[in-house]
Amino acid sequence: MMAQMLNFEIPQDLARDLKQWRTRIGAVGVIALALTLLGALIGPPGQFFRSYLWSYVLFLGVSLGCLAWLMMQYLTGGAWGVVIRRPAEAAARTLPLLALLFIPIVIGVPTLYSWSHANIVAADPVLQHKSMYLNFPFFLGRAVFYFLGWLFCSWYLNRWSENEDRTASPVAHQKMAALAGPGVLFWGVSVTFMSIDWVMSLEPHWFSTMYGLLFIAGQGLSSMAFLIALLVLLSQYEPMSRILTHRHLHDLGKLLLAAVMVWAYFSFSQFLIIWTGNLPEEIPFYLRRLTGGWWWLALLLVVGHFALPFALLLSRDLKRNFKLISRIAIFILFMRAVDIYWQAAPDTTNGVFAPSWMDLTAFIGIGGIWLAYFLTNLAQRPLMPLHDPHLEEALEHGRE
Amino acid sequence: MAEEQDLLERPERPEIIAPGYTFGTVTDQISAVVLTKKTPIFWTACFGVGFALLLLFLWSVVLLFAKGVGIWGIRPPVMWGFAITNFVWWIGIGHAGTLISAILLLLNQRWRNSINRFAEAMTLFAVACAGMFPVLHLGRPWLAFWLFPYPNTMAIQPNFRSPLVWDVFAVSTYATISALFWYVGLMPDLATLRDRTTSRFARFTYGIMAMGWRGSARHWSVYETASLLLAGLATPLVLSVHTVVSFDFTIAIVPGWHSTFFPPYFVAGAIYCGFAMVLALAIPLRSVYGLKGLITDKHLDNCGKIMLATGLIVAYAYLMEIFTAWYTANVYEHEAIWHRMFGPYASSYWSLVMCNIIAPQFLWFKKIRGNPVLLFIWAVIVLVGMWLERFVIIVSSLAQDYMPSSWGLFHATRWDWATYLGTIGLFMFLFFLFIRVLPMISIFEVRTLLPQAKVEEEEAPR
Repeated sequence: MMAQMLNFEIPQDLARDLKQWRTRIGAVGVIALALTLLGALIGPPGQFFRSYLWSYVLFLGVSLGCLAWLMMQYLTGGAWGVVIRRPAEAAARTLPLLALLFIPIVIGVPTLYSWSHANIVAADPVLQHKSMYLNFPFFLGRAVFYFLGWLFCSWYLNRWSENEDRTASPVAHQKMAALAGPGVLFWGVSVTFMSIDWVMSLEPHWFSTMYGLLFIAGQGLSSMAFLIALLVLLSQYEPMSRILTHRHLHDLGKLLLAAVMVWAYFSFSQFLIIWTGNLPEEIPFYLRRLTGGWWWLALLLVVGHFALPFALLLSRDLKRNFKLISRIAIFILFMRAVDIYWQAAPDTTNGVFAPSWMDLTAFIGIGGIWLAYFLTNLAQRPLMPLHDPHLEEALEHGRE
Repeated sequence: MAEEQDLLERPERPEIIAPGYTFGTVTDQISAVVLTKKTPIFWTACFGVGFALLLLFLWSVVLLFAKGVGIWGIRPPVMWGFAITNFVWWIGIGHAGTLISAILLLLNQRWRNSINRFAEAMTLFAVACAGMFPVLHLGRPWLAFWLFPYPNTMAIQPNFRSPLVWDVFAVSTYATISALFWYVGLMPDLATLRDRTTSRFARFTYGIMAMGWRGSARHWSVYETASLLLAGLATPLVLSVHTVVSFDFTIAIVPGWHSTFFPPYFVAGAIYCGFAMVLALAIPLRSVYGLKGLITDKHLDNCGKIMLATGLIVAYAYLMEIFTAWYTANVYEHEAIWHRMFGPYASSYWSLVMCNIIAPQFLWFKKIRGNPVLLFIWAVIVLVGMWLERFVIIVSSLAQDYMPSSWGLFHATRWDWATYLGTIGLFMFLFFLFIRVLPMISIFEVRTLLPQAKVEEEEAPR
């Protein structure tokens, strides 16, 4: 039996390196965030919140996507699910940090969202109508509700996973599988309303029923790209070097390709429908994003977020090549950042294409702190679930 | 030796087909349904009903051609009525077959092997029923070829900006690929029937259809390549066909139609009612023909789960539809949803909510999914619900759009119903004909599910 031959504990050299990465990345993150805070004092007014929001939404998306994949693998089973369990659990455990990091956005509501100003709302019948939904107390209440749900899912899945490691009882797996169905449901609905609240309402007149689905697909894509890049990195060390096979990466690569396609399908459908409809209340969204510098970002999205990864990921050999697929995954993560920037930033700058140095520092700051905290969490537990019912099957996967 | 022991002790996943089958018994049981002289009464009854309804269909179509579309209830402003509802409904049913045959093949979901054949047949016949409605609805169906961009002396081309023209290409591609995929998959089994039948006529016919299949390694290698390629081609079709169908609605700026998430919502709805149809066909068939060992409770359970998942996506769509209608702050969007919920079609709307959202929640329970009779009833409920959904979307939005002075309600005539029931007859007629003369379960693919096939299976190049 393979499971008995392998030691899933993190060996010393990996533990040392993890610690080193954590310290370095964390330090860079803290410095970058400190710079961003400095920018809040000396930079253009409001730029801090604008930069902070999109960076935050990006990294929250990676954590939530990991939580969703974790629940999905309990629903569907399969070898690919067992190898991502620990990294995905660790990413889900970063949600408390992300809840903390949400506080600046709450402070920034008056800067970011025009619907939060009574005088603007009073002059605008559309906003008056929406004020039942778009008002500060309800906005905050919904955010608290989303976080409670996500934190509960994360806590519950990690608790029982720890229990499974300790007691080897099959009950733990049943408990986690029982949460998975309702959990994925909650994730879908909460991410939809989260995207409406935090990003779509930056332009409170605009609406699209596809918007939530775009974020659902986007989160699935960012987190899968992150997991693939991380697994390949870990595979340079024991025990992952002996666990991860080409078959695992092939399966995960297929999911990555599927997520790329779903994202493109949703994005293009939304674009086509709004473009042909050409209605005054819908088209400004794209007019804004297809003029000036945004036009180049939009083209970059078409090529880099869809065409290139799609064409590359079709190749079977490429999905099985550790180095190449991790490079594609990192590139996709970069494109996810471009996409969220393209979605969120034009409305906060009134359509002007004005990237700021703070966009970069906020991205590095939040990303660095998040990644450092993630690595801390990852180092806490063995790299594979010790008693997953599909463990043997997952280890044999690709070795027959 | 120790390694062998390990292999034996390896925890197996639950078997997909009942234990005790061998290559021989699988072949015997499936081919016997076709090669026997005795026809079950169940078959005769269903075929008879289908044939009677088919005659009704022919009657109504002849009347339609003679008198025009006025025999239907379509009047301005509701010009789409039953015909387009049925078109969307039927084409949606086809999607489950393609999902099972193509996507589940690519995903290595091997349980599909015992349901893919009849699901693909279902797809073909459903597309045949669907394809007729837009043509019948033209008013002058003999001019249907105008939809194709053929070279003509007037140098007139169809308007390529119209999703109705995209439909022509989407649906005809879909029909072609589905037919090819189905036929290619049939060939090894046709050869089996050719070799087993005792009747000269049957041997001749199956022999021609099997195209000289001898089961050599080269044949199998070509076969595997062809079926993977066709699966790859069919996969995007699962999404594209119903996406294009949804564009028929969203590209128009009619309130209640112009909604950006219609494409995935329509696709999910299509798979939802397609799986309902798979269950509605599989459950009676497996009891009548004693195929419970091949189409097991595990299959029904899986189909039930897919129905639940897609049903939840549909529920999400209804929720977002209502929320967004409010959120738009647009009076026409408000009214469109308000009319749906409390207007003249409210009874249809609430029935569809019952059928599509409330009822499937029971599928969370393993007890319901494990009970074939209940599952059959649930599948029929979903089929009805999905028909109502399309009806409500089409009719309620057209009946009451922008100007109250141009409003008008739709009343179905008896010929609307006759045409609809007629296509159900056509579907039953074709489907039961298929059951009688072709193997409804893929013989050779089920053989690969047997434990005996395991070694070969794992050594096969993927």
